Amino acid sequence: MLRYVIYRLLLMIPTLLLISLVTFTIIELPPGTYLDSLISELRASGETADLQKVEFLRKQYGLDQPVWVQYWRWLSGLLQGDLGYSFEYDRPVSAIIGEHLAMTMVISIAAILFTWMVALPIGVYSATHKYSGADHGLTLLSFMGLAMPDFLLALVLMFVAFSVFGVSVGGLFSPEMQAAPWGWAKILDLLKHLWLPVLVIGGSSTAAMIRRLRANLLDELKKPYVVTARAKGVPPWRLLIKYPLRIAFNPFISDIGNLLPHVISGSVIVSIVLSLPTTGPVLLRALRTQDMHLAGSFLMLLALLAVIGVLVSDLALAMLDPRIRQGGGRSR
Amino acid sequence: MSLPSVVPPPPTDEGALTAEQQRYYAASQWQLIWWRLRKHRLAMVACWVLMALYAMIPFVEFVSPYAVRSRHQDSVYFPPQRIHFFHDGEFLGPFVYGHTMTINMENLRREYQEDRSRRYRVRLLVRGEPYRMWGAFPSDLHLFGVEEGGTLFLLGTDRLGRDMLSRTIYGARISLTVGLLGITVSFVLALILGGLSGYRGGWVDIAIQRLIEVIRAFPELPLWMALSAALPPRLDPILVYVGITVILGVIEWTGLARSVRGKLLAVREEDFVTGAILVGASTAYVIRKHLLPAFTSHLIVSATLSIPRMILGETALSFLGLGLRPPITSWGVLLSEAQNINAVALYPWLLLPVGMVVLTILSFNFFGDGLRDAADPYA
Amino acid sequence: MMRWTLALVIGMLGLVAPAGPVRGAEEPPSLAARVAAGELPPLAQRLPKRPLAVKTDPEAVYGGDLRMLIGTPKDLKLAFVYGYSRLVRFDRNYQIVPDIAERVDVKEGRSFTFHLRRGHRWSDGAPFTSADFAYFWEHIANNKKLSPAGPPQLLMLDGEPPTVEFPDAWTVRYSWSKPHNLFLLDQAGAYPALLYRPAHYLNKFHEAFTDAETLAKRAKAERRRNWAALHNARDAMYLMDNPDLPTLQPWRPKVAPPAQVYFAERNPYFHRVDQQGRQLPYIDRLKMLLVDKAVISVKSSSGEVDLQARYLNFDQYPFLKKNERLGGYHVYLWPTATTAAVALFPNLNAKDPVVRALFQDRRFRQALSLAIDREEVNKVLFFGFGAAGQNTVLRSPGGREAPRLHHAQYDLARANRLLDEVGLTRRDAREFRLRPDGKRLDIIVETSGESSQESDVLELIADTWAEIGIELLIRPSQREVFRRRVFSGEAMMSVWGGEFGLPTPDMSPSWLAPVSEEQLQWSQWGLHFESKGERGQPPTLPAAERLVELYRRWLVSTERAERARIWDEMLEINAEEVFTIGILGNSLQPVVVANGLRGVPEKAIYAWDPGAHFGYINLDTLYWAGGHR
Repeated sequence: MLRYVIYRLLLMIPTLLLISLVTFTIIELPPGTYLDSLISELRASGETADLQKVEFLRKQYGLDQPVWVQYWRWLSGLLQGDLGYSFEYDRPVSAIIGEHLAMTMVISIAAILFTWMVALPIGVYSATHKYSGADHGLTLLSFMGLAMPDFLLALVLMFVAFSVFGVSVGGLFSPEMQAAPWGWAKILDLLKHLWLPVLVIGGSSTAAMIRRLRANLLDELKKPYVVTARAKGVPPWRLLIKYPLRIAFNPFISDIGNLLPHVISGSVIVSIVLSLPTTGPVLLRALRTQDMHLAGSFLMLLALLAVIGVLVSDLALAMLDPRIRQGGGRSR
Repeated sequence: MSLPSVVPPPPTDEGALTAEQQRYYAASQWQLIWWRLRKHRLAMVACWVLMALYAMIPFVEFVSPYAVRSRHQDSVYFPPQRIHFFHDGEFLGPFVYGHTMTINMENLRREYQEDRSRRYRVRLLVRGEPYRMWGAFPSDLHLFGVEEGGTLFLLGTDRLGRDMLSRTIYGARISLTVGLLGITVSFVLALILGGLSGYRGGWVDIAIQRLIEVIRAFPELPLWMALSAALPPRLDPILVYVGITVILGVIEWTGLARSVRGKLLAVREEDFVTGAILVGASTAYVIRKHLLPAFTSHLIVSATLSIPRMILGETALSFLGLGLRPPITSWGVLLSEAQNINAVALYPWLLLPVGMVVLTILSFNFFGDGLRDAADPYA
Repeated sequence: MMRWTLALVIGMLGLVAPAGPVRGAEEPPSLAARVAAGELPPLAQRLPKRPLAVKTDPEAVYGGDLRMLIGTPKDLKLAFVYGYSRLVRFDRNYQIVPDIAERVDVKEGRSFTFHLRRGHRWSDGAPFTSADFAYFWEHIANNKKLSPAGPPQLLMLDGEPPTVEFPDAWTVRYSWSKPHNLFLLDQAGAYPALLYRPAHYLNKFHEAFTDAETLAKRAKAERRRNWAALHNARDAMYLMDNPDLPTLQPWRPKVAPPAQVYFAERNPYFHRVDQQGRQLPYIDRLKMLLVDKAVISVKSSSGEVDLQARYLNFDQYPFLKKNERLGGYHVYLWPTATTAAVALFPNLNAKDPVVRALFQDRRFRQALSLAIDREEVNKVLFFGFGAAGQNTVLRSPGGREAPRLHHAQYDLARANRLLDEVGLTRRDAREFRLRPDGKRLDIIVETSGESSQESDVLELIADTWAEIGIELLIRPSQREVFRRRVFSGEAMMSVWGGEFGLPTPDMSPSWLAPVSEEQLQWSQWGLHFESKGERGQPPTLPAAERLVELYRRWLVSTERAERARIWDEMLEINAEEVFTIGILGNSLQPVVVANGLRGVPEKAIYAWDPGAHFGYINLDTLYWAGGHR
């Protein structure tokens, strides 16, 4: 086991190196540099006096250097833990990501909890009452959850919230509470605003989870051991929870690792529509303006978490599913 | 709470098979799947819906009541029009009323009043605005429309007075084909890479596996965004379209590839494959005749379930302004034009293309689900 | 020259109070406590000896916050832009009048002497003197590390640096060998070249005043590469994101990014007073809330702002109007006085020789302009409010009628005739004209992709151009890519906005002549002028050459009447030549004003330069009825 873990960790290194190369290429692909965007923005808004500073920035950030030099500078910085400098915000990348990270994680984790708490009972119910009216209804509902683009759902819900409930839209706090220090009142205010993003973000993953759980559970319930246990008189609930549900739920536990990068990146479009202070919109703007370090380092962070997440998932699955440990195949 | 039964039906008279059972046992794999699919009502409905949608695509110019760029400057932001059948209690067949427009200069809003004295019949197969079928063949025949002088804005109009129904129908052409083309790209990549991975094994397998895992674990949207932002923005719209489909396809192939590999690994060990190899069949023959049929159905199911993700992907990208942009019309573009509080608060009919997106995706999901149930030999 | 000085003197007389602040003028209540406690000197000692007295509403009272919404931390500059405290500024009639400077002496249009106000202090109490100008000139503008490209463009007249003199602590003089007509214009702008800095604060970050070791430590603590980066970061006079930096604006920032809410509090040493001698501003605090740009219209409509125009646009007006009662505000429509909200820029320097030849033919441009139904565009997109016509001024500075309608009527017959005259008589199967080389005459218009309004206008134009046999294809792009393609000649035609449409003869007519690379219709000719002949190409059209010549004359003209005549001739040439194809001008800007906020005119002109958007209406004179919201 230990050997396997070390082997995987070593494999991570060339993977990440390759990813860094690809990331850098993708970001630098559009012609021009960040400074070009800045110059055109300044010109367009009539702030031509700042053009002096642009020259200064060009030298400071080495944007007059050839591409591979820039890549090397960035990469070596990354290896030392220095995520680089954002031209746009004029601050270290770690600072920018850091300040958005907390809120992003709050929303993402809340969405995940919501998903699990809702999807689990519904999935179980749906599987055990297969083809009943409720099942069909829930199937329809969950498919609609999958089908509706989440950003549009956000827009519509936002409007409804505003016109019907009078809730201030956009952002996570009411204007009065924005500047207030942390306390119970502020937390309450946050919860009041949190339901909308959580609902929208959690919506489609809830639907997906319901489907998957139902399918997995149905597979398990058909197996002979379930029939045997029933025949032998084991009470249905205990039976359900002790065996089939555990197996059906395995993939979700093992998928926890995969959730890691999503927790950090949040849901970009919904964040944009609802103007949430998360990392998603930051990334979009960074990609658009070719803010190399911000975009690149953030993507690398996501890649790192993705790779780690996969490792965690595999290990978790191995631990949970004895069949894998014995060298058998994975369940779905 | 009940658990499903696994007791098989009792056998019939020993040996003898009825005509129906004979047919059943002699039927090909695809026929079996089809028969089972037919029983799944929801999936069949979805199937018809999809076929209708895709059948419409070559004929969007004909199906839409108006041409894609036609504008009506006196009908800007017109709310959806209703087709009436009765006028003052009298049955007249389908028709619409005329309308007059006044501009409220206080609020800067256009107000439309129904004019019941003017009625215009709605008919099938009318001669309406001229268009060019597929950009080449001029015609002016429309599937349905309104008689001269009237307007038929079943889904209202947008800020330039363009009929939303027509735009949505035209948008279907782009949005639906993006899915198909994207899935083709995915398919090809998945077959090649997944096949290599599953069949060869060894370090090729490991490398491809790692690649797949990383791509899968990476959050979708940042990947899309990064790749789309890399597309030169001034490209010919056709090339942008191709670029977007390729990007979507390149990110989706991993799921398919995994299925391919998994199935290959499983089937590879089966006895009939070993038998074929022992008899002297070549690798290509084995793959073609024995391996592929075993999991083609799975691939098709996976593909069917991937298409809606691509459609949503195009919608999302266009919404963000990274994908297709006006003057191309796709559902994503239509929705991005509705992405402001004006649309939601004052002109909500601009959001109706959402309905089309939802309908399409639902249909794909139901159909794919039904197909999966039908194709699964163990269900 | 006489007119210049005369104007300035008159302006000064109209505004300066006869003596210093009236004895016993009240302190702003929010500062009273600090003054009483001895933390702040009393009013008489905080104001300059002769502050600038401004006409205000006699019923004005102190108190309250002014809430605004911003979309990016860069918008903190609004405290500087809207504060609009400048050496000289534009008044409501766009005349240049002194502000921070008490008096400006202009000699022969080439020598400018600023007389500062004795006793004027920075927002932290330190004296504001000519030493602050010296610091900028000697240690920033001429320091190779801080300004690798040299002093600001504004000061380098044709490459000639100014002679900068500091006769005493209250006087600064800039002189050149030639008249510099752009100098004061720039200083009165929204974002001028700032000629002064708080030396006593910034020299802590400069290697000439602080030892290297301290500097290195400071730089490292803030993760800056070197002292120059540190100095630059601290020197945020415009961006207003450094609360420690003293300022001369009416409000000084208190919060540095990152944050969601930014406050700017009254500057206790602000140099303007009202006619009773009370120190301005009336409003105690600016409160700027950082939100996503997309929700600004919604938030404005729900009563979360007190004064907002930025990020609001015309098509949100019906929505804003609808919610007036609910949100407790009024929404005004201010004219922007633009020459064109949307204008087409044929690229006279296009790479493709066929296209270039066509665009350089005046008849072709006129035809394109005649085939646009401006009234329709006006009706469909602007409710008829736009000023249909060419991309030219709304009112001529020389007094003649503005040539808006030259070649700007909707006349398809004449357009077709002109195109036939040019020789484009062959057509293809679809009735589109063919170029001389046989290919179809497509005109590809590139946009920066940011404004759906531009695409809409283009859609409308495409239909009428089809009537004269020209296919208009729209290519949305991204701003910097689009610019680059225009400059390199690859883009055929582009779309952008116009300029300020109510100029005085003293304002610059540079946009009428090929003098800058940034101009989308002739960037190579403009580059040629800008680089003094080193790069780009010289104009090949006599009309364009004449425009350059006229501009050169304007730059050195010392007589107002002459400048007005130059303007008129340049306008005439542009009107006849149709170098750019304007569609509609004078678009409207919605302005949300909370009920109870007094001092905001129902109609003013919303322009960046001149006017600084809200700058020239004097935000420091706004007040809340009753002292609070």
